[in-house]
Formats: sequence, C-alpha cells, structure tokens
Amino acid sequence: MSAAAELHEPFVHPALFYGDEREYLAGTVSFVRAGLEAGDPVAVAVPAANLALIRDGLGADADAVRLLNMEEAGRNPGRIIPGVLRAFADAQPPGRRVRIIGEPIWAGRSETEYPACVQHEALINAAFQGRTVSILCPYDVRALAPQVIADAYVTHPTVIHAGSGPELDSGAYDPDQIVARYNEPLPPVADVPPCDFDAESLSQTRHMATEVAARLGLEGVRLQDLALVTAELTTNSVVHGGGSGSLRIWADDTYVVCEVHDKGRLVDPLAGRRPAARDQRGGRGLLMVNLVADLVRVHTDEDGTTVRCWFVR
Amino acid sequence: MAIRYLAPTGTAGTVPELKVSPLAERSGLRVVGEVGLATYEVWEGALEQAVRGDGDVYHLELSSVTFVDVAGTGALAAAAQRMGDGRRIVLNRPPHALRRVLEMFWPDLSSIEVSMS
Repeated sequence: MSAAAELHEPFVHPALFYGDEREYLAGTVSFVRAGLEAGDPVAVAVPAANLALIRDGLGADADAVRLLNMEEAGRNPGRIIPGVLRAFADAQPPGRRVRIIGEPIWAGRSETEYPACVQHEALINAAFQGRTVSILCPYDVRALAPQVIADAYVTHPTVIHAGSGPELDSGAYDPDQIVARYNEPLPPVADVPPCDFDAESLSQTRHMATEVAARLGLEGVRLQDLALVTAELTTNSVVHGGGSGSLRIWADDTYVVCEVHDKGRLVDPLAGRRPAARDQRGGRGLLMVNLVADLVRVHTDEDGTTVRCWFVR
Repeated sequence: MAIRYLAPTGTAGTVPELKVSPLAERSGLRVVGEVGLATYEVWEGALEQAVRGDGDVYHLELSSVTFVDVAGTGALAAAAQRMGDGRRIVLNRPPHALRRVLEMFWPDLSSIEVSMS
C-alpha cells in the first residue's frame, strides 16, 4: 500500500490479483499485519477455504481480526455493504483507519449472481467515498473469467499484481459505467403468470405469495422472510412505483424466486445498501430485503423497475 | 432447469383491518388484524396511546395480529424510543415478522419487552 495514496485519498480500494496460494497470502497477510501494527481494526470477509488460509497464515494474530465467511455473510452481494463492510466500519472508534479484506467474487458465483457481484464492487466506492477505510478485494486470476478480471480494473481505482508489489493506478476506473452496464434485463422465465396488485390487494397478494411459496417448498423462517419481502416490495410499488405492480413467483431446483415489477424508476443505486441509524424513521424496506434474501437482482429503466429475490428452498 | 409455478388462487379481495380495544385487567390494548399500508393509521393511534399511557408498563396484546411489515415495526420502535424514563412497552405474543424485524434493526431497545407466554 503506497503511503502517497493514503495521504491523498482517505478511501483506498485496490483489487489484489493473485495466481496461487503464495501470492494470496503475501497480499492478504501483509495487509492485515500492517493494520494490526498500526493499531487499526481489521476484518477479513472471504470464502471459507481462503479464510482458513489467512487464519493459518496469521497464526495467533488471527484472534485480533474479525473473520467472516463471505459465502454466508455475502451470499447476496447486496447485503455486503450494509451487513458486512459498514456493519464493521461503523462500529469502530472514529479517527482510526479501518481495514477490510472483502472477496465477493469467487469461481463458484453463477452467471445470475455475477451482475449483482460486480455492481456491488462498483458501489463500494460511492458508499465509502471520503471515509478513512481501506478495502482490499482479492481476485483469483487463474479461476475467474477474463471478463471478471477486466471488470475489476473498472470497479477499483488501483490494482496490485501477483499478490504484492506496488499499488498501481487501474487505468480504467469508472464504477458508474459498471453499475449501468450490469443493469441488465433479468433472465427471462417462461410461463409464469403475473399477478397484478394495487393498494386494495396488498394483503391478499402477500397471502397468495406466501401460500404459493409454501407449496413450492419454502418453510419456517425462510417463508416468513418471503412474506416480509413480498409486503415490502409490493408496498413500495404502491407508494413509490405508480400505485400498482405485478408479482410473479416460481421455483427452480434450488430456489423459490419472487419478483415484483412496477412502473417506477429506481434512481438511487445505493438504495437498500445504507445501514439505518437506530433512531432513523423509515427507509429500511429495501435494506431488509437485501439482508434476508439469498440473492437480489434489480433491473430499472424507463419502462419501470423489476426486483427479483431468490430464497434457497 | 426445472421451472415450477402455481397459478395465483382467486381469493376474494378483502382489505385487511386492524381493531384495537382496551385490555380489561391491565394498562394496554388488544390489537387484532394486520399492520400494513391500509392500517398504519390505527396502529399509530395505538402506539400513541402507549406513549401517553400511565404506569411503567404498557401492554400490547398482539396474539391476534397476523403480520406487521417493516414500517409498522419501525413505528413501534420509534414510539418505544419516545417512552418516558423507565417506562416500557410489553408485546404479548407478537407475530414472527415483528420479532424478526425488531431483532434485525433494534436488537437492544430497552423500552420494548417481548413476552411469548
């Protein structure tokens, strides 16, 4: 990490490209140790196998670090900023640099998840602009597709090669472009009929969705979460999305999927990604959706907004 | 990928209600129905009574409340934060949705107590 970069910009967000375990440890363990030596709070949120590597690499120092399995805490990429990064950063004493290793993109991420992952990486910049925070994002150059690596240059102001070495200007940094480019139409799903709703039928729509989800195999807390999510998205449509909307619900081999479409346009890309202060009134609806769903994808354009939520069955 | 869906069932449109009545044996209200866009006004009224009520403890009997959305639980948390010193709201058997959202956003609100008995 160059001292110069930290002097000019309090927020530091490099992509760390690594090709093997040695490079991974060289980049991550030195980042953690530099933080611990400076007395800075440090968190590591990476996939389970990499978490084990870092824990071993740190030895006894691991006890001083907040360790999180990103496959769980960040399964839904929309959850990572409020539920992992800011949850940790906001809890630290002011004036200290906060250091976080966040690895949200790994080889097992599906094509359906990827647009949400890369938009999340882009939005980290807006979410932390001006704050004294360093977020290091490792990318496995052997396992990830070339397009993923190319996108990492666009979502990160700086990059580090081969696990160590100088922090270099990415040369392609343009996060807004990624947010826009991956605002893709959602993959089509054939033959699922929409159910229209308005203010009068909100309750009925929630009951219907919950009943259908139960028959599709969702149960317990997950079913209750789907009820909350349905209520939130449909109420949003009525209040902010033109007074009405339509809901579809279906299942594939792994998930029950619930989708709400309305005529509104979601203009704030950080909606649902800001943690709410305890005494803040309202503004928690989309945040709750991000915190409980296993995946959330959003598509918004001049014709309206579609929010699709996946729940593991 | 196997796609399965079930067509929506044609239940007749019924706008939900929220009814509030005083508890006979202690300071508080019994609430029946669901809390959502159509019933916020009644819910806010009930919460206002809790904030203004006498005594240290105000009971909300919620066992017949079937659902509370995030904004409804937010209104409850806001009311609880306006309770005077040492006063608290006891929620009797609130629905799962309310407990879930309270735990998510207001896990340590000392002026709310949840009683499942």
